[in-house]
Amino acid sequence: MKTSPDRQPLTQAPIHRRSFLGMLAAGAAVIGVPSLLSACGGTASTGSSNAGGVALTSDHLPTYVPITYVEPDYPSVNGSVPGFETIPTELVQSIKAPPGKGSSFTAMTPLWGTPPPTSGNAYYAAVDEMLGSTLKFQIADGNEYGTVLATALAAPKDLPDWVSVPTWNIPPRFATEVVPNVFQDITQYVSGDKIKKWPNLANIPTAAWKYSSFDGKVYGLPFPTGVINDAIFYRDDVLTGLGITPDVTNGQDLIDLMVEVTDPATKRYGAHDMWTAATIIHGVVPKWKVGDDGQLLHRVETEEYRAALEWNAAVFASGAVHPDVDNTWAKQLFWDGEVVILNDGIGSWHENLAQMLSTNPTWSQKPFAPFGADGGEPTYFKGNPCNIFSFLKKTDDEDRILELLDLANVIAAPFGTVEFDLIANGVEGVHYERGADGLPVPTDLAKTELQPTYMFLVDGPETNARVQYPGFVKASSEFSQLAAGYAEEPVFWGLQISEPDQYASIGQPFEDLEKDISRGRKSITDLDAAVATWKSAGGDELRGFYQHLLDES
Amino acid sequence: MSTTTEAKAPEPAGVAASTSSTRKPRPAVRKIKLSTRLKRDRSMLLMTLPAVLLLVVFAYIPMMGNVIAWQKFSPYTGFFFSPWVGWENFVRVFSNPQFLNAVENTLFITLFQIVFYFPVPIVLALLLNSVLSPRLKTSIQAIVYLPHFFSWVLVITIFQQMFGGAGLISQALRAAGREPLTIMSNPDTFLVLVTSQAIWKDAGWGIIIFLAALSTVDPSQYEAAAVDGAGKWRRMWHITLPALRPVIILLLILRLGDALTVGFEQLYLQRDAVGAARSEVIDTYVYFQGVQYGDWGFAAAAGLMKGVVSLALVLGANKLAHVFGEAGVYKKS
Amino acid sequence: MSTATSDVTKPLDTIVGGPVPVKRRRRSKHRPAWEEPAGPVGLAVKGIALTVVAGVVLIPLYSIVLTSMSSKATISAAGGMVFVPGEITFDAYVQLVNGGVVGRAALVSIGITVVGTIISTIVSAMAAYGLSRPGTLWHRPILFVFLVTMFFGAGLIPTYLWVSNLGLINSYWALILPGAVSAFNVLIMRNFFMGIDGGILEAARIDGASDARILWQIVMPISKAVTAVIALFYGVGYWNAFFNAVLYIRDTEKWPLQMVLRAYVLQGQPIPGSGGTSVDVATGDIASLSVKMAVMVLALVPVLVVYPFVQRHFTKGIIFGAIKG
Repeated sequence: MKTSPDRQPLTQAPIHRRSFLGMLAAGAAVIGVPSLLSACGGTASTGSSNAGGVALTSDHLPTYVPITYVEPDYPSVNGSVPGFETIPTELVQSIKAPPGKGSSFTAMTPLWGTPPPTSGNAYYAAVDEMLGSTLKFQIADGNEYGTVLATALAAPKDLPDWVSVPTWNIPPRFATEVVPNVFQDITQYVSGDKIKKWPNLANIPTAAWKYSSFDGKVYGLPFPTGVINDAIFYRDDVLTGLGITPDVTNGQDLIDLMVEVTDPATKRYGAHDMWTAATIIHGVVPKWKVGDDGQLLHRVETEEYRAALEWNAAVFASGAVHPDVDNTWAKQLFWDGEVVILNDGIGSWHENLAQMLSTNPTWSQKPFAPFGADGGEPTYFKGNPCNIFSFLKKTDDEDRILELLDLANVIAAPFGTVEFDLIANGVEGVHYERGADGLPVPTDLAKTELQPTYMFLVDGPETNARVQYPGFVKASSEFSQLAAGYAEEPVFWGLQISEPDQYASIGQPFEDLEKDISRGRKSITDLDAAVATWKSAGGDELRGFYQHLLDES
Repeated sequence: MSTTTEAKAPEPAGVAASTSSTRKPRPAVRKIKLSTRLKRDRSMLLMTLPAVLLLVVFAYIPMMGNVIAWQKFSPYTGFFFSPWVGWENFVRVFSNPQFLNAVENTLFITLFQIVFYFPVPIVLALLLNSVLSPRLKTSIQAIVYLPHFFSWVLVITIFQQMFGGAGLISQALRAAGREPLTIMSNPDTFLVLVTSQAIWKDAGWGIIIFLAALSTVDPSQYEAAAVDGAGKWRRMWHITLPALRPVIILLLILRLGDALTVGFEQLYLQRDAVGAARSEVIDTYVYFQGVQYGDWGFAAAAGLMKGVVSLALVLGANKLAHVFGEAGVYKKS
Repeated sequence: MSTATSDVTKPLDTIVGGPVPVKRRRRSKHRPAWEEPAGPVGLAVKGIALTVVAGVVLIPLYSIVLTSMSSKATISAAGGMVFVPGEITFDAYVQLVNGGVVGRAALVSIGITVVGTIISTIVSAMAAYGLSRPGTLWHRPILFVFLVTMFFGAGLIPTYLWVSNLGLINSYWALILPGAVSAFNVLIMRNFFMGIDGGILEAARIDGASDARILWQIVMPISKAVTAVIALFYGVGYWNAFFNAVLYIRDTEKWPLQMVLRAYVLQGQPIPGSGGTSVDVATGDIASLSVKMAVMVLALVPVLVVYPFVQRHFTKGIIFGAIKG
């Protein structure tokens, strides 16, 4: 992840966001999203929510008022990201005048890349001018953000005014201790029709707001995401060079292909750790599944999970996996052509294009069309309605809260607006020049100054308008539409559930087990023992907790 | 935090020195009035002030902060308003399998290092001591001391580049058609890895004290033995090793006093690669429970237990060190 | 084990005033008359052992430095770390010098090390001198304040909570102040100062020199060795500090070099490009491995540069404080 001329976002939509989604796929061991959903419980629930902190009503949620400034060429299907083949020439100014009152705020966000200078930065100055207030960023390394966030939350005095929180970095006790003590409840400002005061915030889908609610109150400002997060990619250029046209319709086909392209003598291997791919093609649920008898089954108890483990172990056993799988970044190996097939976040696709096209014009990667391990229909479980949200530091100063919401309204401006354009591309003549095709070409200054930071605070619905890569919008939108066709909502989808504290770590051993079984260090029979341990360590009680939630709703 | 390991080992000797020397010259100071003494010593007192202030602020006040071990502490309610829970946190600590696992790992690593790390500096010191050319000797010393001054991040990175799956040796093995090394990520050989790293980093520095002890041996003893027909090995057995014995015992005791502190950064940095099952020690456990998971009272209790046991060991070891110090190396004069 | 040092004999004995070992006359260079000459086998074994010991330290360093200066072609030919010199290039260093995360981190580390070392050394020297005259008021209780910290640390959790309470989060001071005074180092200096001939100091005092002046103009000049060693200890501590940054520093912009080393070299994250350069680390002419190794060299260099100047003082400086008694 680095800055290179053509990697600057044409659209504000998430360049870097997708790289962590990529990491999500590549580095499952570190992240383990489902198990970190939330934690802790035991406090008295309020009237409007149940034991898991899930609201039973939706009165607190903002009204959804969608705005469309530009019609997409590839409309959203079942939650897929809409695609735009062209950039409109006339941009809409969605907010008439800078709404800020000249105040100064601090904001903490992650970044997967080189931090831009936070003082003397013309990009920030321009956005601040548009906001009418000053947002001073504290930019932390995305890969370390979990630690940074945990330490920051433990020092509430020094907490910035506005804090970005990726859902996979949520620490234990977040819902019960952190949120009510540290962050501002914004329900009274945004619920129902009150949100209409900020049209760009009202443009954020209800599901994202719901997911940003804790204990029946809105706390978070969402950064909504499409429902399809991951894909299995192959180096199209490499396969073409080998004269191979992939025809993969089941799990065994994929293993065969990976073995076929593996050639240790030229340092070319078929695969990296394919665990995420294994869960996709086997349709492994993110967390819970309703069994045939109506009882909840945890993911690790399902047949799909077992089959995915066996399949991934077969991948390793086939010898197609790169030997540096555990100590070299998957992306680097993919870039270098040492790994030909990789599961990664969908956003990694255009990131790689930005990264590689300048030095390797023939670079090409493609996703495999969705398939099931047994050759049947695949199941894509929907990702969270938003993977990142942000919170305002608790304050008694209502003016500051309203001012921050004013700023959020600017930052959340959707594709096709002046605001979106400035945040995505900076200032014309300073951060970009118009190329011959009318597309903005980033300047050298943009490379140092312009990094995606605002979108980690709040954003409009995701769009794909990366028209600078020929054919990309079409290919990715079509894949996204296709995959979304198979999308299913897992049980408890989109709910912000506060799991009791004592179960926070019982899922931990499975992360190691997934690695060990895949690598042949342990056998699939160890899974049974681990599941038994999990049950006795609180797994069954946890099931009871969720069963109760399920029955209630 | 980073200086503690360095500072720990030799302290009792230094402490012994300072306390004993303060005792000696105490003439009729008592008779002078406090105000006079204050006036006379004002500048001396002022000079200690900055250091004392720093210690009070960054060592003593945090020490008092350990009261949270008896609280259900939350940073949002603070030291003064968090509820008291008696010994609950300690009970949880001792009934927690992960904590016990961390204790077990800590002790295993310590034991393993005593057996395999500890003798290395002695052997190195003997080897160096037998080098006759002073120039060669100093050069080798300069080389073996060097890694002591590298950070753990650097040392582990060096190990990774040499022994990692993509490192120098694995590369050579792969080129020769062999399997690459897995030691950097294999939990089963983690003890070996940690100990080798410790040896590489600090064994050279560890020879200093042994060389000092060796230098106090009166060469006439060797000469007499040689005249009596004792060969090299016999001289080493009967003269050199007995001379080293008190130092060896002293350092062993000190190491025991430090048993619960095994390189925090070293283990923290490799926890991801190897997994917590083998690499979690008390210090890393405390960190994760507290800072990462927000169970502050519990983590403070675990840390405090470690501190108390260490203190007891250190004080006990210090007592023993005094005993051996009296009879041992440094009292030759 | 930061105690004694190299060939300890002379300084130890002269300073401590112990019995000077009978000086042996050495024939054939350095061997005493009574010692039998080493056999060829013994010599060979010893030679091999020493070579191995030196090699174990030097070979990794050699390979790291060489790889950092190797061209992409050489690195690919070697398949990774370079052992046999090939095409030499300094592009990786140019890349680092041109700014970006690594260059900034190096500046941060240098700043923290310089400021921290100066503060620590001065504060420690003052405290050591203030405690060096037995019989001064409250001498023993103050000494006790120092000693206690060597036996009982506050623990990570309370320290962290307190430092964050002080508002030092995300401040460079959080990397300096909590560890600014090491009681052990103060005691080493104190013991050294106490060994200074009291007559000179007394004479100066009678001449009306203030204690500050005595420390600065008399004590420090004759204590260069111990000061150098203590400064080295502090300096290396600051330069190598890593975990405090994990705890207290939020902005990547404020990372010290060790954090960069961990993220990009140890954990293998791609090094973000440095602004203002057109060279592309991931894909361009520079191998990412050589840049990583250059980061390592950057972390090594200050230690390697300072070390030889201070190394010869280990003898005088440390042995005295620790072994005396």
